[in-house]
Amino acid sequence: MRKFSLVEFSVNHPKLVVLLTIIVTLVSMTQFTKIRTDTNPKHMLPETSEVRLWNDDVDKAFSLYEDMIVVGIENEKGVLNKDTLGKIIRITDEILKIKGVATRDVNSFPTITNVSAEESALKVAPLMTEVPKDDTEMQRLRKMLFENPLFINRIISKDGKTTAIYIPLEKGANGKEIADKIREIVSKEKGDEKYYIAGDPVARDTFGVEMFKLMAVFAPIAGMIMLIVRYLMFRDIFLSVTLMMDAMVSIVWSMGLLLALGFPVHIMTSMAPVFLMAIATDSIHIFNEFYFRCREKTDKKTAIIETMHAVGRPVRYTALATAVGFGVLLFMHIIPVKVFGGMVAFGTVALRILSFSFIPAMFTFVKDEHIEKASRSEDAESGRTSQFLKKLAGFGAHKPKTTVFIGLIFFVLAIIGITKTVVNNNMVEWFKRDSEVRVADTVMNQALGGTSLGYVVAISETEDFIKTPEAMRYIEGLQRHIEKLPVVGKTSSVVDYVKRINRVLHDNDPKYDVVPETKDTIGQYLFLFSMSAKPTDLDNVVDYPFKKANIWVQLKTWDAQAMRDVIKAVDEYKISNPIQMELRPAGIAYFNLIWNDEVLSDMIKGFIIALIVVFVILVFNFHSVKWAIVGYTPLLFTILLIYGVVGFIGKDFDMPIAVLSCLSLGMAVDFAIHFISRFKQRVKEQEDAGVPASITDALLWTAARPGKGIMRNAVLFASAFSVMLFAPLTPYITVGAFIVSMMLLSAVMTIIFLPALIMLLQGWLFKCNKCL
Amino acid sequence: MKEFKIQNLIFKIMVVFPICSMLFALCLPLSADALTAEEVVKKSQEAFFYQGKDFKARVMMKLISKSGQERVRELTMLRKNYGASGGEQKYFMYFYQPADVKDMTFMVYKYPAKDDDRWLFVPAINMVRRIAAQDKSSSFVGSDFTYEDVSGRDIEDDTHEIVKEEKLGANDCFVIKSAPKKADVDYSYKLSWIDKGNFLPLKDEYYDKKGGLYRVFSGEEIKDVKGFPTVTKRTMKNLSSGHRTEVTYVKADYNINIEDNLFSERFLKQPPRKWIE
Repeated sequence: MRKFSLVEFSVNHPKLVVLLTIIVTLVSMTQFTKIRTDTNPKHMLPETSEVRLWNDDVDKAFSLYEDMIVVGIENEKGVLNKDTLGKIIRITDEILKIKGVATRDVNSFPTITNVSAEESALKVAPLMTEVPKDDTEMQRLRKMLFENPLFINRIISKDGKTTAIYIPLEKGANGKEIADKIREIVSKEKGDEKYYIAGDPVARDTFGVEMFKLMAVFAPIAGMIMLIVRYLMFRDIFLSVTLMMDAMVSIVWSMGLLLALGFPVHIMTSMAPVFLMAIATDSIHIFNEFYFRCREKTDKKTAIIETMHAVGRPVRYTALATAVGFGVLLFMHIIPVKVFGGMVAFGTVALRILSFSFIPAMFTFVKDEHIEKASRSEDAESGRTSQFLKKLAGFGAHKPKTTVFIGLIFFVLAIIGITKTVVNNNMVEWFKRDSEVRVADTVMNQALGGTSLGYVVAISETEDFIKTPEAMRYIEGLQRHIEKLPVVGKTSSVVDYVKRINRVLHDNDPKYDVVPETKDTIGQYLFLFSMSAKPTDLDNVVDYPFKKANIWVQLKTWDAQAMRDVIKAVDEYKISNPIQMELRPAGIAYFNLIWNDEVLSDMIKGFIIALIVVFVILVFNFHSVKWAIVGYTPLLFTILLIYGVVGFIGKDFDMPIAVLSCLSLGMAVDFAIHFISRFKQRVKEQEDAGVPASITDALLWTAARPGKGIMRNAVLFASAFSVMLFAPLTPYITVGAFIVSMMLLSAVMTIIFLPALIMLLQGWLFKCNKCL
Repeated sequence: MKEFKIQNLIFKIMVVFPICSMLFALCLPLSADALTAEEVVKKSQEAFFYQGKDFKARVMMKLISKSGQERVRELTMLRKNYGASGGEQKYFMYFYQPADVKDMTFMVYKYPAKDDDRWLFVPAINMVRRIAAQDKSSSFVGSDFTYEDVSGRDIEDDTHEIVKEEKLGANDCFVIKSAPKKADVDYSYKLSWIDKGNFLPLKDEYYDKKGGLYRVFSGEEIKDVKGFPTVTKRTMKNLSSGHRTEVTYVKADYNINIEDNLFSERFLKQPPRKWIE
């Protein structure tokens, strides 16, 4: 009843309500200056999560950098020519001068440590400090490059056409600025070379830019489309704008709150405006009813209050269901998902408050003649759409068995599809195929060892154990074992350095390309290496007390599955080669796998919670478990069908798809609530009026009148999200496609299957309904 | 009148002139002491790298990572001068620690204006290897010190300039800015605080090519050894990596008559007992 007084209050003091709304909105807008994005996948999990702590430990123990930019340089004629090498030197020199670049650890031809034998002397020095002057020198460089396994697939491709510059960044450096400067440096060079700039910071920043684009361009476009579609539905610009404002106000409020609380905008939250805009379409039921009422009652105020009375209950429950659908996300582990859930749940509640205050208040400003004009067109329009909907519902109502049978066939197909689901997540594939990030990644994965980096850390209890031949051979064997996997491009470890030195000390004799016999020899080789190499060369692969060794595993794909394969291979190796050493995966590839799994398990958990909670809400709303089950069916069916299709077309079941599972429940349940509530109301009204209740008639009436609201809602929803199909990032496209199909499908399901189910189960359902 | 003039002249000769010349003489050492930047650097190198005929010290080196992990190097360093400051020198190093490199030895012939010759003995495979000359700014045994930091850099390779004179702690110092003439080192310039009294460097600041301070040397303890002020504790800190190296000289000694033939492949394999105990 309190809500009712809110409506009355708003109708009686419309100006005050509108003014208050505007003030709160303006206050929220002041927070927009605080906006910042966070596209670091690391932040998906809290700082205290086990995998992040472990990865930080590994970074510390092996002096690893969090961020690395890789510049690929490709020349079809091969990079080993004076011209290209000159460019490599110039570019590297310029890069070293950029602020934020960890100068001492940049690896490129002029800076990478090369261990070689030269005129009976051992040489540990940068590979190429100046461009080879003649053919002899060029041949020597070529020989040094290709005989050193540490270089192949790292700074030179097997075909000699591609090289790379590895640029680690200091903590807190701005990846985007550095990447931009590198682009500038590279663009000064003329010639046939192609340059590719890749690496996490680049991907993150590109992602951030696209996110802003989504919010600043796509969300407004979605808003405009909804405005136009709404105008076409109601032929009244004032009301269309009011609905638009309703959505905008709630977006501004929730964004304001998010930013005021100091949260950055993540990929998930960047979608929130479009979601809220779509959820706002639920108010269409109010408008829909308002127009019908206005035709029946001429007094505007009464029409408003009666409208709110009629739709108040379903609107409140749908809002509750939606808020719950998103709210369950608050219980997840993934931070951005939590924030997103909280934000949209808040926005949904805000929307509902607006529906009962701001919207009725705005209704009072509408000139009567406008309403009349609009409701006339409403009447005329209702003819066609309502007839169509009646036919649709009629099919379900008249041929319930056929309908349900067809449904069952689809159900079985969907289940088959779902069993084919591939769980995976590939963050590079979040970019479109022709995007700079994806192209660079593809090229470098083809030419070099692989851009996705994982580690396997070998841990022993004993100091200096890594220096034993036993440990060395164990690690070497592990490397060869992992390298058998097709996804693994290259592995490197301290063993590679030891073998290299062994060979070079013995006049480059390939016979000595093996692990030495004694621990002392290994210790002395490593010491020798550390005497002249860059400190990080060794630090990156062994820790200080030589208890841990870090094996670098370069993967040719960002698929989370790839790291899972590596871990499996490591486990196999462990079992068949027992030794006093533990092997633990780490690195960004491992992190991606973990959070990917975390998202999935979270989502499954969330989905189950949402299923239960939404069911409970339905039970409360309908005061009946049976009706809740009936209302539930089209909804579940829709979700099953969509996931079935996802499975059939082989789309990876990834983070965006998983997140959607929860949301779809909260949103699609709206239709069932509206349909059943209004249907039961109709039956009750007819009974009260003493008209003999015809369930079929009531169903057809529901399909034609509130059903029209449902259809409108679905179309609006779908049109808003269809904009996302043109978004520059694939997760947005996925979300767009998913929501569009889900909305349209669940609207149709509701209108066809609910009548069919109600007809079939009427005996079972109405026994209880009578006692209500 | 004339008498007076003579008297005056005598006065001039007897009193004014000597006073003047005394004053002049007083002024003279001052102006002779106004050293040029090059001279300060030369004296500093003399005091820091060339003191005595020869030199021996047990060197304890601690390599400390940003997160506090440590690695230890322990060695005996023997040095003999061949010629004046800035001239040729020979170094002989014998390692005790880390344990697995015990008996490893390392020898350097340092030449002015020419690449060093270096040899290393790897005991595990009983092999002496010449190590090719390379970048002098590469790390010395994995520490934050470079070869140049250990054995000095040719004065002619840099342009030197006295930027200011100031106190560092209680010591009056010249502050010298040395900028490499060629861009073949990691830093763009270095500021050195050189003690005016003993000419030892008390602090060096290295600025990278982006103009940022990234490496700091500090001479932390100076002791008198056989009349030679000697830096017995020093630290080099790399500000960008957070890594630092602490070096302590124990049992430092000068003019101990190191034989010339110590610096040979034979003794590299089997260093004489007396020098490594």
